[in-house]
Amino acid sequence: MHRLLPLLPAVPLLGAGLLVAGGRHLPRPVAEAFGCLAAATTAALAIVLLPHSSPALVEWVGGWFPKGGESVGIVLIGDGPSLGMAALVSLLTLAALAYSWHYFDEPPRGHAGTFPALILLFQGGMCGFAVAGDLFNAFVFFELMSAVAYALTGYRIDEAKAVQGALSFALVNSLGAYFMLMGIALLYARTGELAMAKIAEGLNAAAGHHGPDALTLTAFVLVLTGLLVKSAAVPFQFWLPDAHAVAPTPVCMLLSGVMVELGVYGVWRVYGTVFSGPGGLPAADVTRTLVVLGVLTGAVGAVMCWYQRHIKRLLAFSTIAHTGLFLIAVGVLKAEADDGAALYILGHAGVKAALFACAGILLDRYGTVDEFSLHGRARHLRGVGATFAVAGLALAGLPPFGTGLGKAVSEEAVGAPLTVVYVAASALTGAAVLRVAARVFLGFGPRPEEREGEEREEDKTSGADEEPETRQRLVRVPRTMGTVPAVLLAAALAVGVVPGFAGLVGHAVDEAGTWGVFSSVHWTATGVLLDLLSTLLAVGLALVAVTRPGLLSAPEWALPLRRLQSGHVGDYVAWLLVGTTLLGALALPAVLR
Amino acid sequence: MNPRARLWLVVLGGGGLAALLVAACLRLPAFGGPWHPYGDRAVRAALARHIANTIASVNFDQRAFDTMGEMTILFAAVLGCVVLLRQARDEHRDPPEPCEVAAPVRRYALVVLPIALVTGLYVIAHGQLSPGGGFQGGVVAATALHLMYLGADYAALERIRPVEAFEIGDALSASAYLVLGFAGVLAGGAFLANTLLPYGTFNTLSSGGTVPLLNAAIGMEVASAVVVLLARFLDQAVEIEEGSGS
Repeated sequence: MHRLLPLLPAVPLLGAGLLVAGGRHLPRPVAEAFGCLAAATTAALAIVLLPHSSPALVEWVGGWFPKGGESVGIVLIGDGPSLGMAALVSLLTLAALAYSWHYFDEPPRGHAGTFPALILLFQGGMCGFAVAGDLFNAFVFFELMSAVAYALTGYRIDEAKAVQGALSFALVNSLGAYFMLMGIALLYARTGELAMAKIAEGLNAAAGHHGPDALTLTAFVLVLTGLLVKSAAVPFQFWLPDAHAVAPTPVCMLLSGVMVELGVYGVWRVYGTVFSGPGGLPAADVTRTLVVLGVLTGAVGAVMCWYQRHIKRLLAFSTIAHTGLFLIAVGVLKAEADDGAALYILGHAGVKAALFACAGILLDRYGTVDEFSLHGRARHLRGVGATFAVAGLALAGLPPFGTGLGKAVSEEAVGAPLTVVYVAASALTGAAVLRVAARVFLGFGPRPEEREGEEREEDKTSGADEEPETRQRLVRVPRTMGTVPAVLLAAALAVGVVPGFAGLVGHAVDEAGTWGVFSSVHWTATGVLLDLLSTLLAVGLALVAVTRPGLLSAPEWALPLRRLQSGHVGDYVAWLLVGTTLLGALALPAVLR
Repeated sequence: MNPRARLWLVVLGGGGLAALLVAACLRLPAFGGPWHPYGDRAVRAALARHIANTIASVNFDQRAFDTMGEMTILFAAVLGCVVLLRQARDEHRDPPEPCEVAAPVRRYALVVLPIALVTGLYVIAHGQLSPGGGFQGGVVAATALHLMYLGADYAALERIRPVEAFEIGDALSASAYLVLGFAGVLAGGAFLANTLLPYGTFNTLSSGGTVPLLNAAIGMEVASAVVVLLARFLDQAVEIEEGSGS
């Protein structure tokens, strides 16, 4: 079975190559069906391999099995989390391709295969990153998924905003990737190894009884910078809303649903395999670093999410808030917190992709994603409205959705003070979505008025007057576009309710983790109550916002926070440098002992 | 943010980063030491498979999976450029005017073009024997074609490099690399396993098993990719004009 691991990236990549070679003269449905077939084959492969992942599948590509404990080859790891991520990536890719089936605008000149080929390359990069057990190989696939994501984000070149968003995305993420490469070079210089487990051995041997030194700390900070840029942690997050607001909807589903989460997965994998030994970083310092960043990310993401009226930007900020929550869970370094993060990521992927899919329908139907100008206009889209509202409740943590279960398990593991962040961030992001649902799909409350006088900062990103992605505005919602969000939402529900599923996920994550303990994962009374609390808070906040808009309008202190999201890529790069320094400062006590 | 505040942030962040990097560099192993754990193992593995150029052995055998990823990054970047640099709605194409080239430049370009092209192909073909290989030779071969642009004009260049054919060649050679990987699995071995062909005689063109084949696939892929990439940028500079045309 381990022989099949390299095929997880290779199948979609070959599919993309063949599509580009032959896609020029293929009719569009054939090209798209071929894309779906390649994505589905990969998904099936990941799902077939999953039951064999205990103990973890290990493959040395090219048959370079270690002799005398040493190898020159590349190792791939097929454990529960890596195969689970590959399966999630592939299923979501399939959903995105199905969503774009036949209705998504294609570039001129009849390249029918180009869009599905780019999506398959994206899938291949993400699958390769998920199963990588070699740090440099992980970097290669990290770069592959980045390069494709930049092109996909700027896909609609006729809009200046799309090009601008793709440019900030590309500059900030490339810089993060170079930092990561520098970190890998430092680790290679110290240990002469690239396989993650062998680097850890080398670090332990070099450190002896002294613990980590400045080189280990710097390598940790640099590698983490690359991964945290990808996962949009504060202060590396600025690229994400600019990119997500302009990327085509099927691409947003993948960016928000799994690519950002792969950054968190990378942090978990790299810390657990490379830096968790005596030669790595002490647990207390890693926890401090990740939890501080996680709390900041959750808070900034949730507050910014609440004050958006551009629906896709609003969803993008809610992704930032939730990444903060995942980072906290990964950062407390406990088995059951890891389980919580895994379940939360699974549930969140379904819910967030469903929300983006609904936003895409609004864009293609009305040519705008502005909450204010859409007020009451989508009343007759009952199915889409219901999906959007239920997804909003699930985002707030309504039991028995997978998001609720992941949130409850994480809360139990992280302890009372951090639980406040979980309840607040999920309530606020859920409330923002519910507010949009109430206004757009039900027409509740007074129609929000444009302010008189000069244009304010926030009105520049209102989302009014966007180009629809379909060739012309939709009159009727195509069946595929309506079905995909409902199926995704049902999948998020299944994560929470299918008996035994949560236990399986928890067991697989604990087995792959480094804590050596197994925790049982299930619904608890406290968890359900906290989930209900955040859901009720979300509903209450949304109701107040809709009926009394004046009460919850942006206070003065929130405006500077909004202005930081300036769209100036120089600002974003400056913040990236500050973030790297912040990481170094937070982890500094590791080398001072 | 005003430029002043941005400058302060850069100073703060850059200062911290510089301090980290300096501290790390002071702990690097000293230059020129005898300890090369990976190098020693890689040379041994290369010689065992009759590959004279160890770097080719690392690229196309020991870490051929990384090369697959890198090749795909180039392939994806080119595909991305084809998408992003397409003719926008508010642009039109103007066929470029023919132009006069100074006679010495013209003679030089036409003489050097075939030499440069053969050099590129030579560098690709000898990848497993001497420094160079598919990546380097591919770039040389692709740039050789562009001497036609210097020696004649854009229309002449377009005649000798039909972009559509090169786009298909790019995709086919990328697929060929992947198919060679799959062949290993189908033969009952590992993905990208170099066990399908005999290793041959050391230091000859046919030595090294599948290394020459993977190397050739990369050479074709890089040459086609560079041609397509330059074509897209040249199109933007030479042919595609703003305004919806007359």
